[in-house]
Amino acid sequence: MTLELLGDFALQLSPGAVANGVNYVWILVVCFLIFFMQPGFALLESGQVRAKNVGNVLMKNMTDWTLGTLVFFVLGAAVSGLVAQLTAPGTAFDLMGAFGYMSSTGGAGWVDWFFGAVFAMTAATIVSGAVAGRMKFSAYVFVAVAMTAVIYPAVTGMTWGGGLLSGSGFIGDALNVGYLDFAGATVVHMVGGLAGLVGAKMVGPRAGRFDENGQSQPIPGHSMLLAVLGTLFLAFGWYGFNVGTQATVLAAGDGAVTFQGAALGRVVLNTTLGMGAGAVAAMLVSAGWQGKPDPLWAANGLLAGLVAVTGAVPHVTWWGGLILGGLAGALVLPTYRWVVDSLKIDDVCGVFAVHGSAGAIGTILIPVFAYQSGGVAILGDTWGFGGGTQLAMQVIGVAVIGLWTVVMTAVAFKVADVVFGLRVSETEEEAGLDETEHGVSVYPEFVAGGSREGPTVSTDGSGVSGGTQDD
Amino acid sequence: MTDEPNDGELKMVMAVVRPDKLGDVKQALAETGAPSLTVTNVSGRGSQPAKKGQWRGEEYTVDLHQKVKVECVVADIPAQDVVDAIADAAQTGEPGDGKIFVLPVESAKQVRTGKAGQDAV
Repeated sequence: MTLELLGDFALQLSPGAVANGVNYVWILVVCFLIFFMQPGFALLESGQVRAKNVGNVLMKNMTDWTLGTLVFFVLGAAVSGLVAQLTAPGTAFDLMGAFGYMSSTGGAGWVDWFFGAVFAMTAATIVSGAVAGRMKFSAYVFVAVAMTAVIYPAVTGMTWGGGLLSGSGFIGDALNVGYLDFAGATVVHMVGGLAGLVGAKMVGPRAGRFDENGQSQPIPGHSMLLAVLGTLFLAFGWYGFNVGTQATVLAAGDGAVTFQGAALGRVVLNTTLGMGAGAVAAMLVSAGWQGKPDPLWAANGLLAGLVAVTGAVPHVTWWGGLILGGLAGALVLPTYRWVVDSLKIDDVCGVFAVHGSAGAIGTILIPVFAYQSGGVAILGDTWGFGGGTQLAMQVIGVAVIGLWTVVMTAVAFKVADVVFGLRVSETEEEAGLDETEHGVSVYPEFVAGGSREGPTVSTDGSGVSGGTQDD
Repeated sequence: MTDEPNDGELKMVMAVVRPDKLGDVKQALAETGAPSLTVTNVSGRGSQPAKKGQWRGEEYTVDLHQKVKVECVVADIPAQDVVDAIADAAQTGEPGDGKIFVLPVESAKQVRTGKAGQDAV
């Protein structure tokens, strides 16, 4: 009886509908995980700045997410579609089509939009860590809008959207291969890291970061605890970022659904090995360089390892993922030193070393460590060189995305400079952006507070005001 | 010269000690019969050598060390007993153990009762 009922029930299920439903629920869940990278960034960046600038960092992070989603809905997602149309042969220009997602009242189009949005906001929020401690809030908001409206969406249009670098775009079509960047090592992270580097260069170093001889002077952040916790929050969200990009959990066909365990497994394994190798490599390099293993470098290396494998996770062997993560982790300290000591750029949170160069290296090297079904068996996985054309495509892709990001970010910061001015004044910088840009103190108890209704004492000799007093 | 402890005067014993010795100091003060005290987190420089701090591998010098300042005003208990008790409890033998000062106190008043002088302490 029961079996019979179950049988009837099963007959009514369409494998396509089941797979579609499960896949979209999976996408929503990973989007929520990716959203959780926002508190990760907020903590990571807050911890690396001084206590007087924490409120500004938090304000910038909240603005990136909130204003960023609005901008990405009314404009950014359409720009992505338009760039895809304009940079691929044989696609007609269709302005209304590019805005089509806005009227997606049937189907799951708005879920797709949201999936794109969580990635866009991740790219935008990376920039704030580089320019912390001296940039005007108004100028930053302008740059954040430019990031989510144009700079980042154009890159997704050129790649995932089917434009320039993809297999159907002008370059991809000419070379007959598409650019590989699975979850955005370059599309998201290198864009954010390069934009941060350009921004930090244009805003200039924090007061006191370099002495009169150009030697760097340390400006310790106020909480390594927050920085490391933020790193681990980010790593948690990163599972959504990477594993979630493997969006097909169930594949439908022939009256049945099949679980895509092999694809998901490769992605989650490479993400984990890349993260682990990155942190361990950075720990070792910092111990060699500074004498002791440094938690902040280990945290930076963990993230650099994740960035490096983000584009590669489904495409490379497990030992390829491990090598890519380890390479990026090992390079994070020397790269940061190069940015500070040679380029003289005050990249406060090291976003170029963590997101920029790590993303480029990991993505370019994908063909070198490529997983190939039926390839040469090495350490239990099958490897095959991805081909010279693919390697060339990876280099071209990184160059195109990098050039676009550098030029457009420079334009955005230049406009912000003319319209708003990039920097706060020296006095404001010294007082801290929390007080001067936002009128708050994140840690009021550090700075002896006034009593609730007591008189206000002036120390300039003008006496006591407020409260009750006798002359 | 009288036989009264502290010559009938109020004395303040002000000690700067290692933060991790505070528990021992409090215990010693209680055993000496002078349990009342005020404690402040302070930083200062003395014979303890400067430490190197570093952020992202860039070194800076920390020559102000974290200490706690213990202040204890006594009337009936000889200040010297309090000094000895603190010194005994706070000593490790390494540079940075701190210093103890004894200061005269002009007057005292207990806020709750309004008692003044020796009775306030």
